[in-house]
Amino acid sequence: MSTPATLDAPAAARRVRTVRRGREEVCLDGAETLDRFLAGVERPAFRIAQMALRDRDEALDAVQDAMLHLAQSYGARPGDEWRPLFFRILYNGIRDRQRRRTVRSRLFGLLPGRHGRDEEEGDPFELIAGDSVDPARQLMNDEAMARLEVAVAALPARQQEAFSLRCLQGMDVAETATAMGCTEGSVKTHYFRALQSLRSALGEVY
Amino acid sequence: MNGHDLEPHDEALERRAREAFEGSVARLDEDTRSRLREARRAAVDAFEARRRPAWQGWVPVAMAASALLVAVLLWRAPGEPPGPVVQSGGTEAIEALEVVAAGDDLDLVAEDLEFYAWLEQADFDGNAAGQG
Repeated sequence: MSTPATLDAPAAARRVRTVRRGREEVCLDGAETLDRFLAGVERPAFRIAQMALRDRDEALDAVQDAMLHLAQSYGARPGDEWRPLFFRILYNGIRDRQRRRTVRSRLFGLLPGRHGRDEEEGDPFELIAGDSVDPARQLMNDEAMARLEVAVAALPARQQEAFSLRCLQGMDVAETATAMGCTEGSVKTHYFRALQSLRSALGEVY
Repeated sequence: MNGHDLEPHDEALERRAREAFEGSVARLDEDTRSRLREARRAAVDAFEARRRPAWQGWVPVAMAASALLVAVLLWRAPGEPPGPVVQSGGTEAIEALEVVAAGDDLDLVAEDLEFYAWLEQADFDGNAAGQG
């Protein structure tokens, strides 16, 4: 399977501060560089957020917040630093949403006749196969992706991050460590454990 | 071995996971793509607004003030002079004021007070000086 062109964009945005127009190489201004960077990461970031949150709208909100935060707080920083910063912001947002969701489900769980969201979700395999309304969910008909999502979602949060950033985003260990806010040694440990868990969960399929 | 070395099986898993992920990214629906584009535009706009110097926010105000000033000047210019109207009789007062403002001939004025008194009387009488 060939790599889609959209996924090459993050690397291009990270690397290129100039662009060729006709015969001359034109230096991109800050806004244009930022736009290119965000255009490159927005879709993978959305899918990563969707895998972690298992909700399309929440994933979109998380990506939007991360973009805005990066632009406002770190837009003036060198473009090379944007990618790990962006994913760090994104994962902070994802964790905040997961915490709020947990609190909400506990509160609703206390009410008579109400069930928490986690209980309503039931079997994640059924959730993926049975949701025919959300177009994004329809994409999960690809069995491999569906199983991967379920298996990744079952990982502890830090292992999820390490796997998503190292494997799915193709970051190196140093970048992943910056994005996760931990040491490179921790990244290696989280990633190794994530692969062990995924191997046992997906061994038959993969 | 450092305990974190990947086995061939892990590499195959990585490769297949990456392929599945990239495929799902490539097949995102148009509505999601559109919302991501809007989010990106909002972020870039916020970046540009933040980068813009604070004084640029006052440019429209300064331009409006300048336009207002020009409009007032154009409105006053045709027909009547922009300054206060000076009638006959007021001219002398202005000339006297200029003499005082010049400040260098005040001694001469003091020496010749009688002459000036006569001059003033002559003006009141209308060419009386010429007749006398």
